[in-house]
Amino acid sequence: MSETINARGLACPQPVVLTKKALESNDEITVLVDNTTALENIQRLASSAGCSVEVGSEEGGVFKIQLLKKPGASPENAVQPEYLPCDIDDKPAAGPTVFVISSDAMGRGNDELGMILMKAFIHTAIELEPRPDVMIFYNTGVRLAAEGSDVLDDLKSLEEKGVKILVCGTCVNFFELTGKVAAGIVSNMYDIAGTMSTAGRIVQP
Amino acid sequence: MSEKTEYLIALFDSVSRVMHAERILRECGIPYKIVPVPKHISSDCGVCIRFLPEYRERIIQSLDGKTEILEIRAL
Repeated sequence: MSETINARGLACPQPVVLTKKALESNDEITVLVDNTTALENIQRLASSAGCSVEVGSEEGGVFKIQLLKKPGASPENAVQPEYLPCDIDDKPAAGPTVFVISSDAMGRGNDELGMILMKAFIHTAIELEPRPDVMIFYNTGVRLAAEGSDVLDDLKSLEEKGVKILVCGTCVNFFELTGKVAAGIVSNMYDIAGTMSTAGRIVQP
Repeated sequence: MSEKTEYLIALFDSVSRVMHAERILRECGIPYKIVPVPKHISSDCGVCIRFLPEYRERIIQSLDGKTEILEIRAL
């Protein structure tokens, strides 16, 4: 029996999973994939399962892989090969990278230590590649953006580099910092929740 | 922004010492900044105190006898 698997557009590890399943009931399989990770992993699967592999030349970003089970091969009993990790070819998720600063301390436990860590984190963020697109400050995190904060210069550098800084207005009000926010823009829950829910990646120190 | 400001950093042998020193400097009103220890100096997750050279003597004096600076060097 032969089978053709169209694995184009499928997220890793789907192409491998489908190929492995198809090998259980077919001797001849053609797989179409659109990325080199899937191509490599299917080749590794094939060799561990005792199949010969032929890869056609790339056409429009698509590779055609032909697997032929060798006589006597039993893919069910094959040792699982070492696959390339799935994220190797992944493009970064669409949407902005958002840093969520929900406290003026980094981590839980000792707040004095946490505050030192947070200062170091914010300072380091300036040099990060890729840089965050948006930084959101809420709860005690808003203190970092208010007058007297030790990281105001860092936040201003980040803003100069195009990082959007949103500071939770409710929190500013709660901590009686109204009029004292010295970096970023005072924002509201609509913007904060909206930015977080459309983020490609959220980083929360 | 003055991009090419020359800074010094004071290194300590523990984070507790950095925290102690920070408290003293804050009380003395000496401008400083907590920054990560540059990677070429140490790959530990360390922090140090960065300051402008003009504050060097004041910092040494204010910390004298209270906490021990391991080293002061250019950033």
